Amino acid sequence: MTRYILGRLGGVVVILLAVCLFTYLIFFKLSPDPAVMICGKTCTPERIDSIRDVLGLNQPLLTQFWEFLSGIFAGRDYGSVHCSAPCLGYSFQTNESVWSMLTARLPVSITVAVGAAVLWLLAGVIGGLVSAVKQGTWWDRTGMGLALGGVSVPNYVLALVLQYVLVVKLQVLPFPSAVSFVDNPLVWFESYLMPWVVLAVGYACLYARLTRSNVIDTLAENYYRTARAKGLSGALIMRRHALRPALTPITTIFGMDFAGLLGGALITETVFGLNGIGKLAADSIAKNDQPVIMAVTLLAAFFVVVGNVVVDLLYTALDPRVRVVSA
Amino acid sequence: MTTTPALIEVEEAVSPGPSAPATPPASGRRILTTITRDKGALACVVFLAIVVLMAVAAPLITKISGWGPYQFDSAAINSDLGGVPHGALGGISGSHWFGVEPQNGRDLFARIVYGARVSITISLSATLLTGVLGVVLGMLAGFYRGWVDQVISRLMDFLMAFPALIFMIAILSSLPSGNRPVLLVVVISAFGWPYLARVIRGQTMTLANREFVEAARACGAKDAQVVFREILPNLRGSIVVMTTLAIPGFIGTEAGLSFLGVGVAPPTASWGQMISSSVSWYSVDPMFFAIPGTFLFLTVLSLTVLGDKIRTLVDQGAAA
Amino acid sequence: MSAALFVVDNLTVTLPTSSGPVDVVKNVSFTVDRDETVGIVGESGSGKSMTALAVLGLLPRGARTSGSVKLDGAELLGRSDRELRSVRGNAISMVFQDPLSSLNPYYTVGLQISEMYRTHRGGSRSAARKVAIEALERVHIPDAARRVDHYPHQFSGGMRQRVMIAMALCCSPSLLIADEPTTALDVTVQAQILELLAELQATTGAGLMFITHDLAVISSIARRVLVMRSGDPVEYGTAEQVFSDPRHEYTRMLLDAVPRIDDEVAS
Repeated sequence: MTRYILGRLGGVVVILLAVCLFTYLIFFKLSPDPAVMICGKTCTPERIDSIRDVLGLNQPLLTQFWEFLSGIFAGRDYGSVHCSAPCLGYSFQTNESVWSMLTARLPVSITVAVGAAVLWLLAGVIGGLVSAVKQGTWWDRTGMGLALGGVSVPNYVLALVLQYVLVVKLQVLPFPSAVSFVDNPLVWFESYLMPWVVLAVGYACLYARLTRSNVIDTLAENYYRTARAKGLSGALIMRRHALRPALTPITTIFGMDFAGLLGGALITETVFGLNGIGKLAADSIAKNDQPVIMAVTLLAAFFVVVGNVVVDLLYTALDPRVRVVSA
Repeated sequence: MTTTPALIEVEEAVSPGPSAPATPPASGRRILTTITRDKGALACVVFLAIVVLMAVAAPLITKISGWGPYQFDSAAINSDLGGVPHGALGGISGSHWFGVEPQNGRDLFARIVYGARVSITISLSATLLTGVLGVVLGMLAGFYRGWVDQVISRLMDFLMAFPALIFMIAILSSLPSGNRPVLLVVVISAFGWPYLARVIRGQTMTLANREFVEAARACGAKDAQVVFREILPNLRGSIVVMTTLAIPGFIGTEAGLSFLGVGVAPPTASWGQMISSSVSWYSVDPMFFAIPGTFLFLTVLSLTVLGDKIRTLVDQGAAA
Repeated sequence: MSAALFVVDNLTVTLPTSSGPVDVVKNVSFTVDRDETVGIVGESGSGKSMTALAVLGLLPRGARTSGSVKLDGAELLGRSDRELRSVRGNAISMVFQDPLSSLNPYYTVGLQISEMYRTHRGGSRSAARKVAIEALERVHIPDAARRVDHYPHQFSGGMRQRVMIAMALCCSPSLLIADEPTTALDVTVQAQILELLAELQATTGAGLMFITHDLAVISSIARRVLVMRSGDPVEYGTAEQVFSDPRHEYTRMLLDAVPRIDDEVAS
């Protein structure tokens, strides 16, 4: 087992390195003069030169890349500025180390992800379960119809509609503001409510459909029939013999979806003006702040790849049949 | 975000269990008859036919409606009020069937029609490219195993690890505006094919171990024949289902990218870009938001409903 | 003579199909006494499994039944799901054909046995676990105390069927319904399971309703036999009667279809 985990972690490192290299290539080599891009809009020729110098952009690619990598572990000097480990780069437009920019915004993205995840899991799984048990009834048809609609609405359209209706017209919610939970829990909650709902709707509908089809499959299984023949109580049958088997694939999908969200929900954060990783990515792309873009890409890839490993390990924990094989 | 969840959902539905039989896929005729009998599906087909018609015959349609997508009609907007269209509902009139865009007075109907062209061509091309890449690479990996499989699987892992949206935006924004639609198709497909390939790979591996493949080989069939005559026909169901359900995802992705400003370059019309422009106007001219939004929603919805029905039919065909 | 334990009288089962309602069981009548094995024989599609499902109220949605099914004088047909739950697994237990798919792969066999015991008899988890171990020992599963924590896929086919039988008997039912319990097993294992069933019947005194398409199996264990074809009861009598002097042509056909070692092979 430990060999397996070590092997997977090795794979994680390899993929992250590949992502790193690829991103570096794209950003630092694709544009004709990266220093100009990195410097930003208000720039002087001297600054461009100093950036080129400090980042070593005239050096061979591998040397540049190596300096970037070693900087992650040992810290790096950008001219007179020292960026301590882990140094994921330095933004010459905001004059901050990228790492501090990321850590400042990560909590927002995590809050968005966790809140949405709770909502969509509850709504999706329960909705799907009810639909499956009441298959063919009015309840099922309406639920699935709504789910189809929810899956088809682009989240920015939903975000704009909700904002228009709830904030502008009905005025029941304020525009989201950057207030921390400790300072004002109510405003904090109101600020996050719409982003949570918008993000959750698409996933909830997806999970409802998925849960429904998985549970319907489970209800057709022989062991479900056995459970009924044993005279077990309805709740016990639902819990152990209908829902539990259906949830295994959903858990793994959820792991991947959640890991993806940790890297920032770009569109949702942008539309609602939340200062998370997603918005940071969007803003940096608009400003051509390459070091930040690179770091955000790397962070998002990190979550996804680690999430992949966690999910696979989780699967062996969840499905006894797989456990024995991998042991 | 838009592409991934739909494809993963389809993956889960389509991936065969250990006892999945390789039976003849549902025939095209059966799919057609079932769909024509279902009112909901029929409505979707009708709507999609309209959209496709818009896409294909855009120049002709706009000639009939009277305004092109790039023409400015300053008479239709009230420049004193900052560019708000004259008349109710965003300026709907006999001359401008869907009204006009605020500020520049462009005919909304024409822009919707040309936007349909963008959505349909990009999503269909992306689906085609993704389909080809996904099926070919998936089959290669599943059939030959060994180092071919290793290389392709690592490549898939690599691409799936990338935060696709961020990357797409970054690439698209750093490259010059040159052939945008082609670039969009390439970028979207580059991140889309691994999801199809993963399913195809799994199914190819299962199928390659089946007795009928062994039998074919025993009769002297070469690799290429085995692949095309024995394995590919049995993959038809999965391919149809996954590509059909990928189309609405790609439409959403293109619209999303255009919404963020990195899709097709203005002044080319795109529904996503129109929605983005409409944001600053939605309190005074909600129709500018509602019309492209509704078209986008209904198109994705119709495709998803149809894709669902096709998936049910394919599953039933396999289960029969 | 005491009244029969289990009486089925004119049972009819109608299932809804795309081409209209179909009678899959038509006016079937038979009885099972304590300590008696009754075999129900027929080809696939004859309605024998439906009969069993009808007894426990496990028919698919939309199914309709008529007639009477009585256990110890109490009518079972038409009772609500809730009422039947106290009968299922308790007074009447069922063993199914494919033990691998009939056991939940996500839970240990111990849990699947003890959940049944606790539902009908209550008690703590540790007490129920002891019952599960005893149940496994009764069906001769070696090292029961350890294997009670194993998952279904960790047992061989024959062992799994023993687990199912153990589970079915853990609440001492008066009637055990076995729906093709040996069909999915190797021939040698089949014999072992049949022996086990006979032994358990002797010790518990339960009635056994044995459903199968295999005449050879029936002949070795059943005292009375019901032959079914396409939902109709074709022949009903003692085993000696049915096998040596079948009254119906279909029964004769079935008997003739069993290959004998001294048959001449048509050339």
